[in-house]
Amino acid sequence: MNGDNQTGSFGSFPVTIVTQRDGEVAIVPFDYELRFDGERPMALDVLLQAQATTMPDLAFRYGCRARNCGICTIDINDRPRIACRARVRAGDKLSPVATLPVLADLVVRRDGIARQMGGRLQSGGQGNALNVEAPEAYHDLTACIDSYACLHNCPMHARNFNGGLPGDMEGAVPNPSDGYRWGNPFSLLKLERIRLDPLTTEAGREAALEHAIHLGLDTCVGCAGCKCGVGINLKGLVIKSLVDAAGDWLKTDRD
Amino acid sequence: MVIDTEWRDYDVIVVGSGGAGAHAAQAAVEAGARVLVVSKDPIGASDTKISGGIATVRESGADDDTEELLSENLKMAGADLPVQSITDAFARDSNSAYDSYRAQGLRPPIDIERNTPRPLPLPLGGHTKRRSVGHRNAGIAFGHANWNIIVQGGHGGNGIDYLEDAWFLDLVTEDTAPRKQIIGGLIYAAAEGVLLAVRAPSVVIAAGGLSTLYFPKTDAMRGNTGDSYGVVARAGADLVDMEQMQFLPFCITSPPSYEGLLAGEPVVASFLGVLRDKHGKVILDAVRLRTRAECAAAIMRAVEDGRGTDNGGAYLDLTANKRPPRSGPYFMRVLTGSMSSAYTNVRQAMGKAAANCDEPWEVRPGAHYLMGGIRVDADGASAGGEDLGFADQGIAGLYAAGQAMGGLFGSNRLGSTSLTEVAVFGARAGNSAARRAHETSTKSNDDAFAPLITAISNRFGQRGETAAATLRLELQRESWNNIGPVRTAERLDKLDALIVDLTARLETVAIPAYGTWNQAFLEFEELRNMLDTAKAVSAAARERDCSVGGHVRLDCKNISALSQPYSTVVNRVSADDWRVRRVRRDRTPLRQLISYKIREHKRLAQAKMLRLMPKGMQDRKLEKLYQAILGKAGQVPEVAPDSAKNAIGERTKA
Repeated sequence: MNGDNQTGSFGSFPVTIVTQRDGEVAIVPFDYELRFDGERPMALDVLLQAQATTMPDLAFRYGCRARNCGICTIDINDRPRIACRARVRAGDKLSPVATLPVLADLVVRRDGIARQMGGRLQSGGQGNALNVEAPEAYHDLTACIDSYACLHNCPMHARNFNGGLPGDMEGAVPNPSDGYRWGNPFSLLKLERIRLDPLTTEAGREAALEHAIHLGLDTCVGCAGCKCGVGINLKGLVIKSLVDAAGDWLKTDRD
Repeated sequence: MVIDTEWRDYDVIVVGSGGAGAHAAQAAVEAGARVLVVSKDPIGASDTKISGGIATVRESGADDDTEELLSENLKMAGADLPVQSITDAFARDSNSAYDSYRAQGLRPPIDIERNTPRPLPLPLGGHTKRRSVGHRNAGIAFGHANWNIIVQGGHGGNGIDYLEDAWFLDLVTEDTAPRKQIIGGLIYAAAEGVLLAVRAPSVVIAAGGLSTLYFPKTDAMRGNTGDSYGVVARAGADLVDMEQMQFLPFCITSPPSYEGLLAGEPVVASFLGVLRDKHGKVILDAVRLRTRAECAAAIMRAVEDGRGTDNGGAYLDLTANKRPPRSGPYFMRVLTGSMSSAYTNVRQAMGKAAANCDEPWEVRPGAHYLMGGIRVDADGASAGGEDLGFADQGIAGLYAAGQAMGGLFGSNRLGSTSLTEVAVFGARAGNSAARRAHETSTKSNDDAFAPLITAISNRFGQRGETAAATLRLELQRESWNNIGPVRTAERLDKLDALIVDLTARLETVAIPAYGTWNQAFLEFEELRNMLDTAKAVSAAARERDCSVGGHVRLDCKNISALSQPYSTVVNRVSADDWRVRRVRRDRTPLRQLISYKIREHKRLAQAKMLRLMPKGMQDRKLEKLYQAILGKAGQVPEVAPDSAKNAIGERTKA
């Protein structure tokens, strides 16, 4: 049932929403009114209700509501979650993803990631030569939805911000328009995908590996590993493969 | 001024970064143009990315498939509303356009013997030939290809510049003889907090559809706020077939987190699935063979008749497929394997009994795709004038591609066509836009930008007592009620009155005085586009005083297939002067129409016979049919676009 007109009759629970407008941060309490008995709302439901009621100018991204588009990622209790499919409980804190600079409320600026990949996405193959099946692992990697949840706790990405988070950084935060200098699991996934593509040339494979090294692959050596927002085995399929391929190169060619 | 204006120069502005935008940008750059892609959502986060990932590839499954057959298939399915030069272009370019995704890393399953991408085992979604190719990870795989095209730009790349978090607000035009022409556009770059005045002789509108007008009764991306249509309507361009909204018939009604998401397509009904009203009476049989429009209309007519379910829908009853001892297990394998992201939605939203097909599914139509749109020719150039339209009577320098454009689908869109459409017409529009830029000597007329810059700048700091987001909710609710899957003249009046009211209330929206990501301003701009778009839909729906395809008028008859077909064209002269007219379409020769109708009736009769056969005989017959679909190995063909393995996101526990 919709319950649109029965707001309030099924109880409510409190959450907090961290907002930021024109540079000012605020922690705003919000009571989510359940829409039917026993509802366990998603984070996106909470944000939509907040916008429809007490916070009409609340800024947040969303797209498909079905965990496919990857743009609604926020932090819940300081961990990245895909808002349309993450259930919220009483007392939860909803805040912008901490690993990227905030534009407004729960909206972070994402293009520093995309821009670091400029010129690094070699493609190949044409005509009937395209009729080649890709290996299983290739398809495992194209399941990535660009949620950027993998930036959480990534020491390579943190190098962009003196090893910490953009919000905690002293001094000037790097300009996303230039593309971030250091990579992250997502950018490595994009490069490993090129290496796994049966239509990529040997030179293309080498170039992809060089890009990974340039983006800071050495950071991955000895790292406990990263976590994907949609369950891709990043450590096994991306990091290990790249680190193994780089081999001795990593030991000699830092930075 | 709260917000500064910066000036830029490009040959081509591409508005939108989904499939159409990416392919337009690529074609324009390859033709030597300096290109700026403007995207309000992150690059590539479009309907393409969340689609079912099935693309039309001509001749992939049948040697006797041809360009002519594909073009005719589109035109007849669309009840002769499509423009033949446009369906011809689709048919001609479909394979090269599809290969441009593959050049960016899209890897389909391959039929080694035929040396082609391997299509699904049956002709689907109204196609007369096997030519629908499914992909692992569905639309997400296409999303990667589109993202790669655009992001590769910049240093060492292909030269495409792009901005995300940037709203294209309005076109800037100049009245030159013999016709109006584009001289650029105004953009709000929210991340930087500046207005960009961009001088450009060509603009490609590839900003998607309007489904968000019907939120939450939609499965489409939030960004579909009618930006494509609002922007060009205000510039005075023609819009065509705006009443032709495609509603998916089987969307989820409840719980609210899943409302509007896809439960399944007509094909999931398999051989014995029917639609029932709340009393259990069959309202549509042979569901598998029906178009989306027929299913949606059957449900909504029952709802209007007071026979709808609690949530305003009907029951899709698949239980008869599951019950027979021999064929039942085959059915379940096909169901769970062939459309698994929709099936996952059903399981999560409706529970185990529904997922096991022990209970019927409560479903309701949801907004999916606008089949009409910006009136263009086969090269994506804005068209005007009578009949099929002429590019030399449209706005010079204006182009459209993808869902933004009209003229390809008419009153019914075949399945699996949109991913091919965006690539075909994206490339055509981008190429034409670059050519025009090359041929046009740029003489800048910055004065023409001035009134727009002033008007927009003054919005920052506008005092008021309401929020655009609040007004939007009202428009969305009433759009569903009045220009949704069913319409009447009275309801159109009601919506028009609301549009007038909300347009006036736009002036009372409070917008704070700061530049960076001003959400109130963004909501204001999107609502402006939604209002203009709703008005265009309503005007076209009023002119179309009969039911056809995606447009159902409860107060009018169905249109006859034998009558002279026409399309509606809407043109905004000023805020309160919208004109609508009919333009002639060519009718398919009678002989073809009749043989098409006979085939359709024959298939429906066969389906009915199968349903009414004695149970034992029926079960054995169905077993054979499923075995033929599943092939020798008895496997659900891996063509299934989003098999369980790729059910995105279901691995992380909520």
